[in-house]
Amino acid sequence: MLFAHLSDIHLGFQKHEALQKIEQTVFEKALDECISRKVDFILIPGDLFHVNIPEMRVQKFAFAKFRQVHEAGIPVYVVYGSHDFSPVSNSVIDLLVAIGYISKVTKVKDSEDGKIVLDFLVDEKTGVKIAGLSGLKVGRDREYYEKLDAAPLEAESGFKIFLFHGGISEMKTESGVDGDHMPLSLLPRNFDYYAGGHMHKWNHQKFDDHPNVVYPGTPFAGYHKDLEDNAKGEKRGFVLVEFEEKIKSVEFVEIKNTQYQIIEVDAENRVAESINKELQDKIRDIDPTQQVIIIKVYGEMTKGKTADVDIYAIRDELNEKGALVVNINKNQLTSKEYSITEARGENKEEIETNVFSENIGQLRYDHPELLGEQGIKLAKKLLHELGQSKLENEKKNEYIPRILGNAMGILGLDKDDS
Amino acid sequence: MDEFSIAGQVVGGKFGDIIIRQKSGNDLEIGDLMVSEENGSFLILQVFSLEYGSQIQDRMQQMMSGVNLEQGSDAQFYEPEFVNYVLARIKPLARVYNENCEVKIPKSLPSFFNKLRLITKDDLKFLQKEKDSIFVGYIRSGSKVIKEAEVWLPAEDVFSHHVLIPATTGRGKSNLVKTILWHVLDSNKVGALVLDAHDEYFGRIGVGLKDHPRAKDNLVYYTPSNPPVGANRLTINLQSIRPEHFEGIVDFSDAQFQAIRTYHWKSKDGWLTTLMLTDPDSATDQIAASTMSVIQRKMRLILGLIKDEEGRLVSKHEVFDSATKGFTTVDDIVQDIEQGKVVILDTSRLGDEAELIVGNIIASKLFEKYKAYKAVGELARKPVVTVIIEEAPRVIGVDVLTRNNDNIYATIAKEGRKFKVGLMAITQLSSVIPRTILANMNTKIILGNEMKQEREAIIASASQDLSEDDRNIASLDKGEAIISSIFVPFAMPVKIPLFEDIVKEKSSKARPEKTKVF
Repeated sequence: MLFAHLSDIHLGFQKHEALQKIEQTVFEKALDECISRKVDFILIPGDLFHVNIPEMRVQKFAFAKFRQVHEAGIPVYVVYGSHDFSPVSNSVIDLLVAIGYISKVTKVKDSEDGKIVLDFLVDEKTGVKIAGLSGLKVGRDREYYEKLDAAPLEAESGFKIFLFHGGISEMKTESGVDGDHMPLSLLPRNFDYYAGGHMHKWNHQKFDDHPNVVYPGTPFAGYHKDLEDNAKGEKRGFVLVEFEEKIKSVEFVEIKNTQYQIIEVDAENRVAESINKELQDKIRDIDPTQQVIIIKVYGEMTKGKTADVDIYAIRDELNEKGALVVNINKNQLTSKEYSITEARGENKEEIETNVFSENIGQLRYDHPELLGEQGIKLAKKLLHELGQSKLENEKKNEYIPRILGNAMGILGLDKDDS
Repeated sequence: MDEFSIAGQVVGGKFGDIIIRQKSGNDLEIGDLMVSEENGSFLILQVFSLEYGSQIQDRMQQMMSGVNLEQGSDAQFYEPEFVNYVLARIKPLARVYNENCEVKIPKSLPSFFNKLRLITKDDLKFLQKEKDSIFVGYIRSGSKVIKEAEVWLPAEDVFSHHVLIPATTGRGKSNLVKTILWHVLDSNKVGALVLDAHDEYFGRIGVGLKDHPRAKDNLVYYTPSNPPVGANRLTINLQSIRPEHFEGIVDFSDAQFQAIRTYHWKSKDGWLTTLMLTDPDSATDQIAASTMSVIQRKMRLILGLIKDEEGRLVSKHEVFDSATKGFTTVDDIVQDIEQGKVVILDTSRLGDEAELIVGNIIASKLFEKYKAYKAVGELARKPVVTVIIEEAPRVIGVDVLTRNNDNIYATIAKEGRKFKVGLMAITQLSSVIPRTILANMNTKIILGNEMKQEREAIIASASQDLSEDDRNIASLDKGEAIISSIFVPFAMPVKIPLFEDIVKEKSSKARPEKTKVF
C-alpha cells in the first residue's frame, strides 16, 4: 500500500506571472505523479493555499486537478494550515470538502472541561486510522496539543497516522527562524507516521515514541526565502510512503521546478560604488535567459545609504537579457551611517515615537520640517497613512492613488514635484 | 516600650561585643534579633553568644549543687531570678532612623543600661519589596520566624554580582534554589540556565517548578529521554561542540589539544565526528597514533560516544547526536534565556564532565552574545542571566583552575558582572574556591555547615563582618540561612519557606473551559 504526503504548497503565493505558472505546474505534476503511481490516499497537512480564499485563477486550476484525483478514486486528507485556516469555515478548503474532493481529518469528540478528545477518520480502502489537528497562526495551536487527551489516541491499535501543521523544535535545522515551534513531546505517541506541514524543507526523523516524523517541505515556494533555498540547491517535491502493517519505506520524490542563478554580494565594510561594481561584474558572467535570478546583498556598509546600492538597474539589465524573474533581497543590508537604532516603549504609539526620536538625529537635510520634533510628527503621520489598508470593495487601482495622494499631501508635495 | 516586651538590658561590653542581661522569663537564642530604642532611631542587634551569670560565687553554687545531689534535698536560691541569670553577647547590625526608615551601619553603642526588646515586624518596615526583586525568605530571629518581614533582593544586582550558596547536604539547598527560581518565574526579568544534575527542579515526579502558574510561558525543560508532555528533548549536535569547550574541564595534554585543534581547523563543524571515526594509524598531520587513541578514548568516555555497526557515531545517553538532530538546541536555549526564561537541563544521565561541557557550550554562547550586546549598546534591554551550577568547585575549584586554563564558569565569575551574566554557585566546599572568585561573589546565602574550615572560608569572604557568627552558622537548622550581601544592609538571618508550601499557596488551577477546535 502506498500513500503520498504533500504540504505547504501555498497555491496563490506567487505574484509574478512566470512564477505563478511554475507554482501551478509543480502542483499539477505532483498530483499527476500520485495518480500515476496509484497511491491509496494523499495527505496534505496544511497550507495547501497561501490564503483562505485565493484568487479565482488559483481556485480554478486547483479544483480541476482535485477533481481528477477524486475521479481516480484517491481520497485526499487535509488539515488547515496557518495560511489557509478560517475560523468560520470560510476557506476554499471547506469548499473542496463540501463537494467531496478532500476530507478534513480533525474530528473532535469532545472539547469541554479543558480537554480535547479526538476521533479517528478511517480510510475505507486501507483501514488506516488518521487523526490530526490544524495549524493556527503564530503557534496558537500549541494550546490544542496541551489540552489534547492523548491517551485514547495512543492506545488505539492498527496503522495510525497523525496530521499536524507546526514546527517541531527537535527538527529545526536552522536557528533564528520564527519562534512558533513546539516540542515533539506535545504530539501524541505511538503513531506509525506523523505527517507534518509548516516546515518548508524535506526532513524525516525517527524518535523513540515517534518513529517517523516527516516534513516533505514545500514543493516549490511559499516564502521568498524558499526561492533562495531553491537557487542554492534545495530539493523540492513530496513524499511517497509504502506500508503494510508498518512503514516499509519513505521516499522523497523530487519535482524539478525551474533553473536558478544566485548572485550574492557581501557588503560588509564596503561602499556602494564597489558593491555596484561587483554586482555588474557578476551579472556579466551569467546567462540569465529563462532563469530565476536571486540577488542578495547583505552586510553593513561603512557609509552611504543602502539605496545607493543600485540593484534595480541590475534588475532591469537582467530582465532585458531575458531573465524569467529577478528577485532582490536587501533585507540584511545596512549602513553604519544610516543604521536604525531600536527603541522600546509601552505600546505601538510609544515605540514608533521612540524609534523616530532615536534615529532622526542621523539625518542631514536642508529641510528643517523633516528634522527634529517636526520631523518626528511628520514621519508618524506618514507611517500611519502608509499603514492604511484597502477599504471594503476598494479596487487596487483606486487604493494606490488614494494612499499616494494622502502621503503626498502629508509631505506637502504635488505630483509634479518629483 | 512596655515592661512586658523587655527582654534584656545593656550591662557592659564593647562595640561589637555588648553584654546584656536577659530578663527572667525570656529565652534568648543564638541569632535572636533585638532592638534598642534610641533617640530618633533604633539599633538592631543580634545575639551571638549566651552564657550564665550569677551574683553568687562559683564555689558556693557548686556546694549547693552537692547538697542537692548527694543529700537528696531540694535547696533553692532565694529570689533566683535576681541572683542567677543569662548574659547574652550581642553585636549591632544596623541603625534604623525612625523618620525615613533609612538603614545605616551602626557606629556607636546603645545607651548604657538601655532596655532591649525582641524585634517585631514593625521594626522591619524598611524591608520593602522593590520592583523586579526576588523573594528569599522571611526574617528569622533565632528560630522564630517573622512571616510579615519578607526578604526581597534586587534581582538584577544580585544575579549579575554572583551568588554563592554554601551548605552541606541536607540543609535545604535544593529547596532554596527552587524557592528562588519560583520567584524568578514570576517575570521575564531574569534568564536562568540550570544544570540540574539530580533532575529535581522541574518536578517530573511530584511538585516542582512546572507547577508555577507561569511555567507554560517562562519555564523550559530539556531532558534526554522520555520528555513529559510539553518538554523538550535534550539533544545537542556534535557540530555545536568546539575544542575550547573542553578547556578547563577535561585534562588533555598539550599534544592532545594540538591534535584536537588540528581536526577542528581541517574539518570545521564536523571535526569531532571525523576525529572519532578516523583510524588512529591514519591520523592527519602526523598526529601520533597513540595520541589519537587516547583522545578517542577520552572522548568516548566523556561524551558517551560509540560507533555502531554501520560506522556511525551514536551517543549512549542520547544527548549528543552526530547526524541530523539537535542543530539548533544550543541557539534555542540561549534564545529562551535571553527572553528571561528559566531553562532547566536535566543532566542527571550525564557524567560530570559531559554535564559541564553541555553547560559550557551554552554558557559560552550566551556570554559571547551578551558581550556583543554590550558592544553595540543593547545590553540594557536584555534580562540579567544567571547560570546555576552545583558542586561548583568542579569548575571553579582552585585545583581545576591551576591545572587547566580558565573555563567559561571561571570567566563568568571574574568578568560576567560587566555583561549582566552571573553565576549561582552551589557548593559544600567553599574553601577550595579561590579567594579572588569568592570575593567576587557578592551575595552569599549561607546555610548550615558543620565543617569549621568551610565556615571560616565563608566568613572570611562575606560582605559583612561575620567573625562572631561561626557558632551561629554551625547551628543553622534546615531551611535557616544567613544572607550576606552588598545588597542588604546587614547580614540577614532568614528562614526559607518550604517549597511545597509555596506551591500549595500560589499555584492556581486554570478553570476548565471549552476549546474551539478548527
